[in-house]
Amino acid sequence: MTAALEFKEVSYTYPGAPPGAMALERVSLRVEPGERLGVLGPNGGGKSTLLKIAMGLIDGYSGQATVFGMPPRRARRDGLIGYLPQRIEAELAFPISVRQTVASAAALRTAPWRRPAPDVRARVERAIDLVGVAPLADRPIGKLSGGQLQRVMIARAIATAPRILALDEPTVGVDAVGQRRFADLLGTLHRELGLTIVIVSHDIRGIAAACDRVACLARTLHFHDSPGGLTPRILAEAFSHQVEGVFGEVHIDAHAASECAHDHHHGNAHGAGGARADD
Amino acid sequence: MRTIDYLLGPDASLFWPGVAAGVAIALQGAILSVFVVLKRMAFIGQGVSHAAFGGIGIAALLGVSAGMAMPVVAAFCILTALGVAWGAGKRSSRADELIGLFLVGSMALGAIAATLHLRAQTGPRSLPSWDAILFGSILSVGPVDAALAWASAAAAAAALFLARRGLIFWSYDEPAAEAFGARTRAAQTLLLILLAVAVVTAMKLAGVVLATALLVAPGASALRLSDRLAGVFAWSVALAVLGVGAGLAASFELDLPPGACVVGALIAIYAACCAIGRIAGRGVRRA
Repeated sequence: MTAALEFKEVSYTYPGAPPGAMALERVSLRVEPGERLGVLGPNGGGKSTLLKIAMGLIDGYSGQATVFGMPPRRARRDGLIGYLPQRIEAELAFPISVRQTVASAAALRTAPWRRPAPDVRARVERAIDLVGVAPLADRPIGKLSGGQLQRVMIARAIATAPRILALDEPTVGVDAVGQRRFADLLGTLHRELGLTIVIVSHDIRGIAAACDRVACLARTLHFHDSPGGLTPRILAEAFSHQVEGVFGEVHIDAHAASECAHDHHHGNAHGAGGARADD
Repeated sequence: MRTIDYLLGPDASLFWPGVAAGVAIALQGAILSVFVVLKRMAFIGQGVSHAAFGGIGIAALLGVSAGMAMPVVAAFCILTALGVAWGAGKRSSRADELIGLFLVGSMALGAIAATLHLRAQTGPRSLPSWDAILFGSILSVGPVDAALAWASAAAAAAALFLARRGLIFWSYDEPAAEAFGARTRAAQTLLLILLAVAVVTAMKLAGVVLATALLVAPGASALRLSDRLAGVFAWSVALAVLGVGAGLAASFELDLPPGACVVGALIAIYAACCAIGRIAGRGVRRA
């Protein structure tokens, strides 16, 4: 079966970075269609770079990256990936409603002299409904709370009928209850739309609650399996050793992280199929 | 009432082209100004309008006739806009510094070129006066100028309609628009070219310095009255036409430069809209 997302020996160094300061080094991973992958790693560990390569926003990497067998740039052009950015940089003073915001990406490929087709409009309404913002559909985006705005941006992403939903640090600054709600939302989208979901985050709790596979990334891939297989040793290695001296040492509470991963392992019935660790 | 005398009297044909052009310029400025304000591009409009000085200097050096001076100025303004778009790359934030440099550079080029032209004493001497360039003159607007203003407004409206989806997405969320495959660079370039064309179109009536008011004030005023996109565009058009109409009437009545009067009217409307928006609690809260 064609992988939803596949990286083979992908390496990348940002232009102007010092020699040897690679953002990604020989990263190989495979995500099957319908899988939920969390890419866990410290700040500066290459998570967003990985996502940008998958989105076709970065060129000039070595190795091979494909999205449903296509080069990422083409996959993006064909609307295969829906994207939730780390920081929502929307101009909130813009006089645009929730419905118009959700439709803005879905209608991009409609000829300018036509109204969006009925199926596009139906997708927009369904996306609004799925993320639970239907009562706010006519409200200007500047009058939403942070959580509501995030849901609107997810609706905007899924209204394009993507096959992959990519989320960059979606639970930064969200409390435990909010994380649980967010995980439930992703679960609903996964179930209803059959989406492949890729989340990058430095937040182990957010990833463990929402994903059935985890990849630990700190420039290189340290682990790529179910969250239950994470150990404090792997986390310590991923979060500290590889980034030390390049991005500065990063500390996490490895005990809490492993507890979280352990809870998740026993609370989910996902088997060992699907992703495989190539690294 | 001088206004009625002018517009209905025996010399009406002298004034009607200016009024007709004024309405076209108002419409063009109104729809562009919504994007200019929301993308915080007011300074770009200022920079592109000042590029006209460089264009006038180049026209003088080339020794072109008065009739051909405006196309040269328009070309120079458009090239300046394209230069800003190219230099700013994917992010319009860098455009600010480029515009600052283009603005003073164009004025310097205009001053040097005009001086060299005067020294050499070559070519026609009938280029627009500096007063007319700075503040505009309703009497300088002929039927051909009015027709061109309407053609320019129609072209701008058509271009904005055709590009509206990418342009709106780029305007409210540039990074996401790019990630979703919108042609953000094309949107930015299109808007800058339309701004340059609008400035050149408005220049004869309102002058270089004041033309940019039409690219800021209507949109800024409308945003105080509505938080709906369609409502903002409708208010912007209505307020721009009102501002130009009131400004030209004031110009006729008080025998003052039309550009200055139009700007005065637009600023008064802006102040009124701010007060109404505040009292009624309407409009978009600006960050």
